Amino acid sequence: MYCNLYLYKEHKEEESEVAVGKIREAIYGIHHMDETASKDRWMQNLHPLAKLLTAFVYIFVVVSFDKYDLPGLAVMGLYLFVLFFFGKFSLFRAVRQMKVILAVSAAVGIANPFLDHSVWMEAGGFVITGGMISMITLMLKGIYAVLESYLLIVSTSIEEICYALQCLKIPKTFITVILLIYRYMIVLLKEAERIMLAYEMRAPGQKGVHWKAWGSLAGQLLLRSIDRAQIVYESMMLRGYDGTFRLIRKKENTAQSLVYGIGWILIFLLYRCFCEYLR
Amino acid sequence: MHMADALVAPAVAGTMYVCSAAAMTYSIKKVHLEVDTKKIPVMGVMGAFVFAAQMINFTIPGTGSSGHLCGGMMLSAILGPFAGFLTMIGVLLVQCLLFADGGLLALGANIWNMAFYGCFIGGMVIWRMIMKNGMSKKKIMAASVLGCILTLQLGAFSVTLETLASGITELPFAVFAGTMQPIHLAIGLVEGLITSAVLCFIYDARPELLWMYQKKERGKLSYKGTVGALACAALAVGGLLSLAASSNPDGLEWSMEKVSGTTELSASGTIHQAAQKIQELTAFLPDYSFKGSEGAVGTSVSGIVGAVIVAALCIVICICIRNIRKKKVK
Amino acid sequence: MQTIEISHLSFAYGDEPVLSDVCFQAEGEETIGIIGANGVGKSTLLKIIVGILPEYQGSLKICGMEAERKNLAQIREKTGYVFQDSESQLFMSNVYEDVAFAPRNYGYPEEEVRRRTERALDMVHIKDLQEKQIYRLSGGQKKLASIATILSTNPEIILLDEPSVALDPKNRRNLIRILKELPGMKIIASHDLDMVWDTCSRTILMSDGRIIADGNTKELLTKQDLLEAHGLELPMFVAGQQSMQQKK
Repeated sequence: MYCNLYLYKEHKEEESEVAVGKIREAIYGIHHMDETASKDRWMQNLHPLAKLLTAFVYIFVVVSFDKYDLPGLAVMGLYLFVLFFFGKFSLFRAVRQMKVILAVSAAVGIANPFLDHSVWMEAGGFVITGGMISMITLMLKGIYAVLESYLLIVSTSIEEICYALQCLKIPKTFITVILLIYRYMIVLLKEAERIMLAYEMRAPGQKGVHWKAWGSLAGQLLLRSIDRAQIVYESMMLRGYDGTFRLIRKKENTAQSLVYGIGWILIFLLYRCFCEYLR
Repeated sequence: MHMADALVAPAVAGTMYVCSAAAMTYSIKKVHLEVDTKKIPVMGVMGAFVFAAQMINFTIPGTGSSGHLCGGMMLSAILGPFAGFLTMIGVLLVQCLLFADGGLLALGANIWNMAFYGCFIGGMVIWRMIMKNGMSKKKIMAASVLGCILTLQLGAFSVTLETLASGITELPFAVFAGTMQPIHLAIGLVEGLITSAVLCFIYDARPELLWMYQKKERGKLSYKGTVGALACAALAVGGLLSLAASSNPDGLEWSMEKVSGTTELSASGTIHQAAQKIQELTAFLPDYSFKGSEGAVGTSVSGIVGAVIVAALCIVICICIRNIRKKKVK
Repeated sequence: MQTIEISHLSFAYGDEPVLSDVCFQAEGEETIGIIGANGVGKSTLLKIIVGILPEYQGSLKICGMEAERKNLAQIREKTGYVFQDSESQLFMSNVYEDVAFAPRNYGYPEEEVRRRTERALDMVHIKDLQEKQIYRLSGGQKKLASIATILSTNPEIILLDEPSVALDPKNRRNLIRILKELPGMKIIASHDLDMVWDTCSRTILMSDGRIIADGNTKELLTKQDLLEAHGLELPMFVAGQQSMQQKK
């Protein structure tokens, strides 16, 4: 009997624990980000606004390169190596965590070689077409942008990002909404995981939720979420809440952050202009 | 449908940021969160719900695949379009900054493609129009399915336009649109059905939670509604045109031939191009993105893009004028 | 002056009466247990005391103040309510931020906020958890953290709704020990009669929205017939003692 059950469970895991596995993976992902972002290292301690703006300008400059400007773009990758190396982040881990998004970003230009046959170079009978080059630049752009986003999110917690948004004069009420989404996302993900597990245990072999249960399964979760929102509101009211959360930053290292932010942004922009006029 | 950073050119990303920011500022003004503080935790928890719900796989009968819930439509059916839009922005922001899902630079475009259409077209126009004279299960079904299909079509079409306008892919417009639109038609249908199932459940259990349930606002379509409906109609026509274009094999072959035979690249690597690029940064549509721009397809693309820009500008200007007027009244 | 004065309090959710004609008074640093089966109105009573449910009939005075809208902010600063569901009570992302939430909202300078937060964390012995993300806490830690969130305002009255639910025996004992150490008046709504036996000097038995009995815990919780008539059972400790006596 036990043996049977065990076999049955093995079989089931292969077949159906798709949703549950996905949710668990998402939760682990968040754990990892949180852990890395809360470490006491120079990169993590920088002012979030400096990191956010640097990331933004970096991606901006990366995508602004011409689709055939492969050498110019390749140099931009140095920045990522520098940060991964000195920030002590694992490139391997980044690739593993971002594998799906990286694959999607890399696949965008896959059609280019078939559509753009303009000849760029001939080396020993092998023809390099414009389409090939534009495909590679597009892939690089995608990979750079994803890796830079990864660097930003593993070095900066959501609270810090919200602090940066507050510095950018984004309305506080909206920032409060973001913080609450982040806080309850994990709670509800776990709840969804439990619901899905309970469902899958009683519906072996099904890959997802049967259409007859579409409304009630997600609807129950929704009703519970709304009830929870009511309690959260009451709890906030009892502690003097007036519509916003007060975000306070404990770390103080303005000079270092200024050097970091302004330094990188200047380097990117100067390099971009330099590239432009060299040709 | 999250766009990655590599898909958008700076100019396009910037334009979409401006559009989304305008819609966001307007929504923040409309919800009055400073007064209605109770809405904030509901928005936060509902945003979290959308996350969790998107992780649940709903099996599509008769196929092996599964669908997901449509966040924008769902949120506006419960919170109303403005609060729904803000919540959706929050969701997209967290997705971007926690999972790197959708790029930082493309965030403006993603907000527009997913949140704006879902909440304003799906919620404010369709849901509101259908629910104007009372609510019923059939109406919820109709509104969800129609809303999801339309918002996804618009979203997919915008993705196509934004990618092409960014000059990213060598794919001709007709091919790109021809693949994007039908795929998203199917996705929209499924998402609409799932969303309607959930909303019908809520309607049975606690109907007072649904937006527009008690408030039966009768009378003429409001000013905002009219602007929205017009924009919606313009875009729908654009979408239909694109479908028609994609189903025309001659057009397709023609554009393929045109693309493969292109010689436009000969001018690259010169100072001329550098100057051109500066121009591109300021112009919305870089020249090289539409290889067949002198042909029929290219013209219609430009036409539709133009219509979208004009419509968007109209909305933004209308909103500005309205706000200025309001301030004067105050 | 009485700390809490409730007279002829009635409350209904829509047409459904929940509380009818509830009267009681409490003063000093008493610890009061409110017991009763599920759904007799224990939580509702607590929620009315902290002002979450304002549509009641009768009179309610907290620390000499009439529970009216104008006094609400002051009353809320003097009372602390620990919800049954800690997950909903802890809405900030880490423990420190959550405990500091109330003093920040009451406008204390950051220095004072830190002092109060650290003191509150110290009182429930979870100072080492202050940087932890809420979702990584265990059930017992979450309960203690949610108690700390209300301690940071130095409340005169602490109200706890089913504090021992979903705690394992060790965490439950730990909670009881901490509850005994806390200053001020405590009102504990629970059907965990063993915990009430251990922590409360006075007990109020409720049934169907009414107060059935109000008196010394040690007397009340040994009346088997009374408890069983209202859907409760003798505390394990008392039941054990009685069976020992019978054997003798």
